[in-house]
Amino acid sequence: MKFFNDLPPMDHFRSESMSLVQLIMPVESAHHAVSYLGELGLLQFKDLNGDKSPFQRTFVNQVKRCGEMSRKLRFFADQISKAGVTTFPNPDSEEVIDLEQLEIRLSEHEGELLEMNRNSEKLQQTYSELLEFKLVLLKAGRFLGSAQNHLVMAETELVENIYSIKNEDRLSLLEQSMQPEPSNKAGLRFISGIICKSKELTFERMLFRATRGNMFFNQAPAGEQVMDPVSGEMVHKTVFVVFFSGDQARSKILRICQAFGANCYPVPEENNKQRQLTHEVSLRLSELEATLDAGTCHRNKALASIGSQLWNWTIMVKKEKAVYDTLNMLNFDVTKKCLVGEGWCPTFAKPQIKEALHHATIHSNSQVGIIFHDMDSSESPPTYFRTNRFTNAFQEIVDAYGVARFQEANPAVYSVITFPFLFAVMFGDWGHGLCLLFGSLVLILREKKLGSQKLGSFMEMAYGGRYVLLLMALFSIYCGLIYNEFFSVPFYIFGESAYKCRNADCSDVHTAGLIKYRDPYPFGVDPKWRGSRSELPFLNSLKMKMSILLGVSQMNLGIILSYFDAKFHANPLDIQYQFIPQMIFLNSLFGYLALLIVIKWCTGSQADLYHVMIYMFLDPFGDLGENQLFWGQKELQILLLILAIVAVPWMLFPKPFMLKKQQTERFQGRTYGILGTSEMDVDHEPDSARHQHHEDFNFSEVFVHQMIHSIEFVLGAVSNTASYLRLWALSLAHSELSTVFYEKLLLLAWGYDNIVIRITGLVVFAFATAFVLLMMETLSALLHALRLHWVEFMGKFYHGDGYKFRPFSFKLLADEED
Amino acid sequence: MGFWMTTIVFFLLGLVASASVRLCCNRGPSTNLFHLTLIITATICCWMMWAIVYLAQLKPLIVPILSEGE
Repeated sequence: MKFFNDLPPMDHFRSESMSLVQLIMPVESAHHAVSYLGELGLLQFKDLNGDKSPFQRTFVNQVKRCGEMSRKLRFFADQISKAGVTTFPNPDSEEVIDLEQLEIRLSEHEGELLEMNRNSEKLQQTYSELLEFKLVLLKAGRFLGSAQNHLVMAETELVENIYSIKNEDRLSLLEQSMQPEPSNKAGLRFISGIICKSKELTFERMLFRATRGNMFFNQAPAGEQVMDPVSGEMVHKTVFVVFFSGDQARSKILRICQAFGANCYPVPEENNKQRQLTHEVSLRLSELEATLDAGTCHRNKALASIGSQLWNWTIMVKKEKAVYDTLNMLNFDVTKKCLVGEGWCPTFAKPQIKEALHHATIHSNSQVGIIFHDMDSSESPPTYFRTNRFTNAFQEIVDAYGVARFQEANPAVYSVITFPFLFAVMFGDWGHGLCLLFGSLVLILREKKLGSQKLGSFMEMAYGGRYVLLLMALFSIYCGLIYNEFFSVPFYIFGESAYKCRNADCSDVHTAGLIKYRDPYPFGVDPKWRGSRSELPFLNSLKMKMSILLGVSQMNLGIILSYFDAKFHANPLDIQYQFIPQMIFLNSLFGYLALLIVIKWCTGSQADLYHVMIYMFLDPFGDLGENQLFWGQKELQILLLILAIVAVPWMLFPKPFMLKKQQTERFQGRTYGILGTSEMDVDHEPDSARHQHHEDFNFSEVFVHQMIHSIEFVLGAVSNTASYLRLWALSLAHSELSTVFYEKLLLLAWGYDNIVIRITGLVVFAFATAFVLLMMETLSALLHALRLHWVEFMGKFYHGDGYKFRPFSFKLLADEED
Repeated sequence: MGFWMTTIVFFLLGLVASASVRLCCNRGPSTNLFHLTLIITATICCWMMWAIVYLAQLKPLIVPILSEGE
C-alpha cells in the first residue's frame, strides 16, 4: 500500500484542482479584462445576478445594441446569398475598428441597401407595366387593325366571341367600329388590357353578365411569360379588347377590370399612332433595362464589399455580446466604482489569468490594478480534465454517462484500453479489423483538412472518434488473430495444428474425430476447428468461460477503484464497511467460479461446473463425487459460502450506525444544529459560495440508502456477471455471419466457371461485408461494449454527479454556434 | 513454446513498450504514470485473452470431428 502512496498523481485520473477566485476590477478596465479572459478561456464566471431578469441587468443596453448589430449582419448575409454574390472573406484587411464605429457603419450600409432595394423594386414595377403595355399594343393593335380592314374570321389569332348570336350583328358591330371617328363618340368604344390567363374565362363571363351581352370580347394570349407588376411573379397573360357602347357599360367594365386585377392600357386606333407609341415604349423599355442593370451592378458591388468584411464583423459582434453578457454577471460594489466577479479556475491557470489581467490594466490605462484572490467555498467545484485530442473522445464517452464528481476516480483512464478491447472481443476478425484500421487511418491522416470543414452529423461522429476507431481496429486485429478468423477463414500462421488423424488413412475423422498429439496451437484457436461438427460446442464453451473471466476481472477492477477513491477522500468507513465486504462477496462466489474454470482447463477434468456451483448452495455438505477438482474442495466451498453470507449484513448494517455515531460526536451538545455563519466580511457579497449549508442527518434516509446500495450490489453481482455473456453472444453472431457470407456468397459464386457470376458474387460479398459486418456489427459491438462499461464497470465505483467546467472562452462560443 | 515461456514473452513485450514510450514521450511524472498505466492495462488484456484461449486448448474434452464435406 505504501507503494501506491508514493506514486505521483496520475494525469487524467482525478479532476484538476480548482479554486474559487474573486476579481475586483475598476470599471474602465473591466471590458478589457473580460475580453482578455475570454481569449484565455480558463475562468468560469459565476452568475452573481441570477435572480435578476435580463432587463434589470447593468449592461442591457449594450447587449441590445449588439443584438441589433447582429440582426443587421444577418440581413446582409441574407441579401448576399439572395443576390448570389460570392464573397471572399479577406482576413488580411483586419482594420481594427471599435464597436461604435462599427455600429455607425452598419446602419449606413443598411440604409443604403434598403434604399437600393426600394428603388430597384419601383423600377422593376415600371418596367413590367411598360412591357405589358407593349404587348397590349402589339396584340390589340392587330384586333383593331383587322377590324378596320374588314377582315372577318379569317385570322387564326382572333378567337371569335361566341356570345354574338347572329352574323349580322357582328358585322354591324365591325362596321360601326370601322368608322374612323375618335372613340369618344357615343358609338362603339373599346377598352384594351391584359389579364392573367387563369382568370380570363371568368372575366369574360362577368363582363357578359354585366353588360347583358352587349359587348364584343377579343383576346389573344400574350405568348410569353410576363412578370406581374403587383405580385412580382412570372405568369401567363392574355391580351384582351372589349368593345362596348354607352357610359354606364364603360364604368362597369372598368370596375370589373379593377376587381379582376386586369391592367388596362389605352391603345390608339390609328395604325401609325400605334406604331409611334410602340416605338416610344420600346425606347423607354431599353432605357429602363439599362438603368435596372446599372442598379443591380451597383448593389452587387456594395454587397461584395460588405461581404469581404462580414465574417470579421460577425465574429467581433459575437465576442462583444459575449463580453457584455459576462459583464452582466458581475456586481457593482458599494462604492460603485468597481465590478466584483467570482469564478472557478484551475489552480494551474492562476498565473496565466494574473498576466491577462495585468495586460488589461495596462491597455485600459487604468491607475488601479485588478485585484485577484482566492476564496474558499463549501460548494463543489466543477470537474476539469485537461484532455488532448487522443483522450478527448474517451473522456466524452465517460461524460455521456455522467460527469465525474470533483476529484473522483476517472474511469476514462482504463476505458482507453478496455473499451476497444471489449469491442474487439465481440468483433474478432482480423480481416474486418484491417478494414477498420484503414478507415481510421484515413480519418487520422486527413485530420487537419477534415477538422476545418463542416461535416455531416455521421461524419462528424466518425471524425470525433477517430482515435477510438484506431484502437478498436488494432485490438480487433489482435483478437482476430487469436480467434483465427480472416473473413471467417482460418490460417496456419503460427505453426502446425495440434490435431491429426487417429490412424494413417483418416478413416474415422467423420465419426470419432482427430486426436491431439502435441502441445496446443501456440497462439490462438487451432485452425482445424473451423468447419468441424464439434466447432460450436468447443467455441461456445471457450467463449462463455472467457466472458466470465473477463467480467470478473473488470468488476474487481471497479471495486478496487472504489478503494482508491475512499482512501483519497480519507473515508475509512467506506473501506471497512463497503470495499472489504464487496470484495469478499464477489470473489467468494464469482472469483471462485473463475478459479474453478482455470483449474478445470489445466487438469482436463470432466467436472460439471454448473453442478458444482448450484450444489454449493443447495447442498454444501454433500459429497462432490466426480465433480471434485482438487483436494479440500468441499471444505473450501463451505468456507466461501459462510464468508459470502457474512459479507451481506457486513455491507448492510454497520455503516449507517457508524455514521450516526460520527454525527453525534461531531455536534455533541449542539441541539440546535449549525447556524449559518453570520460573521461575514464587511463588504457583503450576495450569493457568495461561502454560505454554509446546514445539513440534516436523517438516519432513516441513510439507512435506506445503504440498504439499496447493498441489495443492488448483491443482486447485481449475479446479473452483471451474466451480463458479460454478451461478449460470447456477439462474438458468436459475428463469426456466424462472417461464415455465412463467405460460404454462401463467395464460395458459391466462385464455384461456377462463369466470370460474370464470380464478379457478381464478389461484389455482393463486398457490399454485405461492408454494410452488415463493418457498419452494423461495429455499431452493435460498440454499443454493447459501452453498456458493459457504463453499467457493469462504472456502477461499482462511479457517482458521476458532478458538473463540467465551462470556462468563458471565445473559442468555445464559436464551436457552440456551429 | 509453453505457457510460461509465452507469458514471459508478453511480460518482456510490455517492458519494451513502456520503455519505448518513456523514451519517446517523456512529459513529466504524472503523464508518464498515465502512459505506463495504459501499457500495463493493454498488456494484461492481451495476455489474458491469449492465456484463456491457450488454457482452453491444453487438455480439451472434445476433439474436432470433421464434417462430411472435407
